Amino acid sequence: MDLTPDEVRARNSEVISEALSVYPEKTAKKRAKHLNVYEGDKPDCGVKSNIKSVPGVMTIRGCAYAGSKGVVWGPIKDMIHISHGPVGCGQYSWAARRNYYIGVTGVDTFVTMQFTSDFQEKDIVFGGDKKLDKILDEIQTLFPLNHGITIQSECPIGLIGDDIEAVAKKKSKEYDGKTIVPVRCEGFRGVSQSLGHHIANDAVRDWVFEKGADKVAPFESTPYDVAIIGDYNIGGDAWSSRILLEEMGLRVIAQWSGDGSLAELENTPKAKLNILHCYRSMNYISRYMEEKFGIPWVEYNFFGPSKVAESLRTIASHFDDRIKEGAERVIAKYQPLMDAVIAKYKPRLEGKKVMLYVGGLRPRHVIGAYEDLGMEVIGTGYEFGHNDDYQRTTHYVKDGTLIYDDVTGYEFEKFVDRLQPDLVGSGIKEKYVFQKMGVPFRQMHSWDYSGPYHGYDGFAIFARDMDMAINNPVWGLTKAPWNAGR
Amino acid sequence: MTGLRQIAFYGKGGIGKSTTSQNTLAALAEMGQKILIVGCDPKADSTRLILHAKAQDTILSLAASAGSVEDLELEDVMKIGYRDIRCVESGGPEPGVGCAGRGVITSINFLEEEGAYEGADYVSYDVLGDVVCGGFAMPIRENKAQEIYIVMSGEMMAMYAANNISKGILKYANSGGVRLGGLVCNERQTDKEYELAESLAKKLNSRLIHFVPRDNVVQHAELRRMTVLEYAPDSKQADEYRTLAAKIHENVGKGTIPTPITMDELEDLLMEHGIMKAVDESIVGKSAAECAVA
Amino acid sequence: MSQNAEKVLDHFTLFRSPEYVNMFENKKAFENAVPVAELQKAVDWTKTPEYRELNFAREALVVNPAKACQPLGAVFAALGFEGTLPFVHGSQGCVAYYRSHFSRHFKEPTSCVSSSMTEDAAVFGGLNNMIDGLANAYNLYKPKMIAVSTTCMAEVIGDDLNAFIKTAKEKGSVPQAFDVPFTHTPAFVGSHVTGYDNTMRSILEHFWDGKAGTEAPLARVPGGSINFIGGFDGYSIGNMREVKRLFGLMGIDYTILGDNSDVWDTPTDGQFRMYDGGTTLASTAAAVHAKATISMQEFCTPKTLAYIEKKGQEVVAFNHPMGVAGTDRFLMEVARLSGHAIPEEIVRERGRLVDAIADSSAHIHGKRFALYGDPDLTLGLAGFLLELGAEPVHILASNGTPEWGERVQALLDSSPFGKGCHAYPGRDLWHMRSLLFTEPVDFLIGNTYGKFLERDTHTPLIRIGFPIFDRHHHHRYPLWGYQGAMNTLVKILDKIFDVTDADTNIPGKTDYSFDIIR
Repeated sequence: MDLTPDEVRARNSEVISEALSVYPEKTAKKRAKHLNVYEGDKPDCGVKSNIKSVPGVMTIRGCAYAGSKGVVWGPIKDMIHISHGPVGCGQYSWAARRNYYIGVTGVDTFVTMQFTSDFQEKDIVFGGDKKLDKILDEIQTLFPLNHGITIQSECPIGLIGDDIEAVAKKKSKEYDGKTIVPVRCEGFRGVSQSLGHHIANDAVRDWVFEKGADKVAPFESTPYDVAIIGDYNIGGDAWSSRILLEEMGLRVIAQWSGDGSLAELENTPKAKLNILHCYRSMNYISRYMEEKFGIPWVEYNFFGPSKVAESLRTIASHFDDRIKEGAERVIAKYQPLMDAVIAKYKPRLEGKKVMLYVGGLRPRHVIGAYEDLGMEVIGTGYEFGHNDDYQRTTHYVKDGTLIYDDVTGYEFEKFVDRLQPDLVGSGIKEKYVFQKMGVPFRQMHSWDYSGPYHGYDGFAIFARDMDMAINNPVWGLTKAPWNAGR
Repeated sequence: MTGLRQIAFYGKGGIGKSTTSQNTLAALAEMGQKILIVGCDPKADSTRLILHAKAQDTILSLAASAGSVEDLELEDVMKIGYRDIRCVESGGPEPGVGCAGRGVITSINFLEEEGAYEGADYVSYDVLGDVVCGGFAMPIRENKAQEIYIVMSGEMMAMYAANNISKGILKYANSGGVRLGGLVCNERQTDKEYELAESLAKKLNSRLIHFVPRDNVVQHAELRRMTVLEYAPDSKQADEYRTLAAKIHENVGKGTIPTPITMDELEDLLMEHGIMKAVDESIVGKSAAECAVA
Repeated sequence: MSQNAEKVLDHFTLFRSPEYVNMFENKKAFENAVPVAELQKAVDWTKTPEYRELNFAREALVVNPAKACQPLGAVFAALGFEGTLPFVHGSQGCVAYYRSHFSRHFKEPTSCVSSSMTEDAAVFGGLNNMIDGLANAYNLYKPKMIAVSTTCMAEVIGDDLNAFIKTAKEKGSVPQAFDVPFTHTPAFVGSHVTGYDNTMRSILEHFWDGKAGTEAPLARVPGGSINFIGGFDGYSIGNMREVKRLFGLMGIDYTILGDNSDVWDTPTDGQFRMYDGGTTLASTAAAVHAKATISMQEFCTPKTLAYIEKKGQEVVAFNHPMGVAGTDRFLMEVARLSGHAIPEEIVRERGRLVDAIADSSAHIHGKRFALYGDPDLTLGLAGFLLELGAEPVHILASNGTPEWGERVQALLDSSPFGKGCHAYPGRDLWHMRSLLFTEPVDFLIGNTYGKFLERDTHTPLIRIGFPIFDRHHHHRYPLWGYQGAMNTLVKILDKIFDVTDADTNIPGKTDYSFDIIR
């Protein structure tokens, strides 16, 4: 039943050709560059990426606003993020991303709220700057404990030429230098969420670091201060990561941006090392801090015990023996838990095949966690990856893996239908398509409302969730018994 | 709505578009036609001569103070002027803010939904200098203006603008029914102006509908915020506008799909009429001082 | 370490273990956290009448609104037609949002494509995106119809759908005769109910008025059938089926215009159905000949109904009729228009509903409710509550117009239980928060976002509305008809009893009232 590696490669190439055959010629040519069968000795995955999506194909991608408000800025809990423009964008992204945080919502924290300027036609025609000015006043009146405000631009802002920077500067002055950040993340910019990440990073640079450089962190530095960069604390991911770092003797002075605060952003220049989880969305600010403040950064992967241990050691290698010993102590401490988890779940999951299609770091980062459970990832792709993501992916995937960049609804359905994986990991828009097809599914953006999946505590949940998806008795019920033969 | 003629006046800014259109429409009204003017320029000066007003309350400014256009009634925005010409101004933001093009879309949608066109023989759109964005093309979309009249002169930039507007019309002519009604040349007393205008019209697969001579009476009327038709009905200039109006009235269905020309062709046209010398490539981009040294 | 392989701890409990609680406490040193006393003072201040006054003085800022934008409604309406792929012209991120939003509510796939306009299209217009987009969508997804709407981006730059679609057809993107109705749905005008209206009208116009000038308009030959339009409705699965059942019992010749009860409720049987059910294109065209059209949601269909009326049909509009009297009015109109009597079976259903209300009304009578949602839903619900002897004290619609406010007030004035109750058009859920603190009620009715109000104000939430993300499958059960009213009644009663039990369960203190019979 199992195909040989050659057969897999041949089948995957064939599947790609089949999918492409339906497109109009011009589109087929474009899409062909985004699909490939990975060849084990190559330095990248052989696909083009970060290119405009083809119109009309049902791309799964979002927009720059989603990348800035939804991903990077939204989780900063003590700032108010205004969805500036019509009501929809803020409404659809309202509290949907599960960026957990501690705080009294509506009083000192605001993550799960939807602040919008609710643009009307007159705001488009006459410009929205005066309205924005008034909104900032009203925020100050009703939410006086907010520590800062960001203005997340929706499409019309850039099209009608509003000068949100001028408004931000003026109001900041009026409110004693309050941090007010204009973000030019209009949805039509760039080709996906990715440019929104970059724009948001640049806004931190320009309006937090460059403006607030004189702010002094309210604590004494230690040689063990680190910042977690690129963890959005989905279902508590950053917490189940932070606890390990602290257990090994490090001190986390900032979380970017899950459960993060403006003060933490401002603290970060004091870090001795920036540890970067989601490279895609926050490499920009890490590079900036390296250049500007001389803070080195290191990528890590907290999915699954193998990668967690490897990452703890890598992080520790930047510190003295105390931390190195701390890392070994932590790894040893959790080893029994990990052994128990694997002993329980691996027998149920061994040999199961997985196809992924996610954003950020997950198309590669979670592969190790599946492998710890004896599972195999046979196809993967990025919603908004760049070439450097696909290069990094080569360290994770096997020869013959099907690679699909910015996959279309049509292609993904076709690929899953032909490869028949035991599990698909992707997003809410894909979930029900595959479940209808009888394929077990887990949302790998929101952790399907579960999580955390990071760290050792998270892996136990991850393993349990994959088991409950794949070994759900419902998959034996999809065919009526009188039709079972068909 | 049968028999309703929708026309639009386009042209480079400062060419005398609003003056020409209002005088022409006044003449059409004199012929017994029921006219509705829809000003689509944020400056809102398309109806001042008809209304004897500095500026009319615009749809967009009233909508902004009322909340939205849904809160407006037709009576709020429509004014009646000379010979019962009905006037509305779309209005729009001050220069440099907001989106005037969207304002045009908003206003025209409002007028259509409110039934503003009922009972009119003519709807005339007076549109900002150039088709700078989709919003300013609103009046030439399908089921809007059927004929476009381009107001121009013998000046290079006015002809350039006329050609550009033709490009805009061509784009919509293929999918919709809009046609170029013709050129109206507003005399600037440049060299060989009439011939140039005729030639350009021919090149654009159109015709010069009328050549409006320059006359100071226009200025006198304008100072009193009146059309010549009203200020000096017996003047020669009033007759010029009457002629233009009659020609437009007879021009129904005679519009053409324009054939815009390239910049080179336009330059050739000027050279043909001796307006421009053949370009000496060596002098392009050189200042007077540089030329003197050379 | 609290995590355990045998009994895996979820985020609910994991983070309550001492090592995490301790970690959270230590993290505050880096957060510039507001001191506890100051925070508590601010928390209390937000509950005061003074705060309410400041809150209601807001002119520009909107916080937690209960409304979405036009194209969402466009996609909803388009999906009600056979084999129809909604196509939204503009930025692609919007479509990702609409699809996610619907999928989170219905727990179903939602197919919709975008023309993926980017910065260059913002400058040069999106014609090429339309040409390529239609071609790709047509070839890939083999729809029977593509219904085009717009995002605010395309609206601001002023793209002309009519011209673009014609050009795309000339370039062969889709066959000339292929149905591509279109409508402009600017997000900065109205709300999702406006988008529903625009799209419904555009689809009817397309079929009835000669398909954008390519065919002769249909000449109406008045017949006896009745058209039915549900409007934007989070319960459309259950509601549509209930209406069909009632019409079946009455023997009505009907056409549902925009029936998405199948496409959002396909079976899990090994096959993904991108399209399923829906109003056929033939019956959409034929619907011009109907005798009359019924809309269940007047504020969702003003332009559609005006258009249909102009065609010569009688139009009848309801405001999401619920309860006994609401359903009575609905069925009597159906009976009048069709000339068919209301059969005994339905009369029995009515009787059972009245029976249930009589059995339970003691528990609802005099209870104070706050409710919010779309304009028609809130009107229908308020009517039902009044009928139950409850007081709908605060009625709020973020997308409610002043006219809606007057209609609500008229309804309140018609009942002794409406005394002291108020309508709040154009307000948001942050306003509602102040209302609940300063004029408390017993229960709140609203969508999932109401849970934030429940948390802050401890007003128990009964989930009725759209979207409902955090409870499953309720959209499968109707709110309309006597059966729907029964469901609603039970939903309300369950919450009342649960709250009563939770309020009387302290052993030795309050549990004398922990009755087993209620």
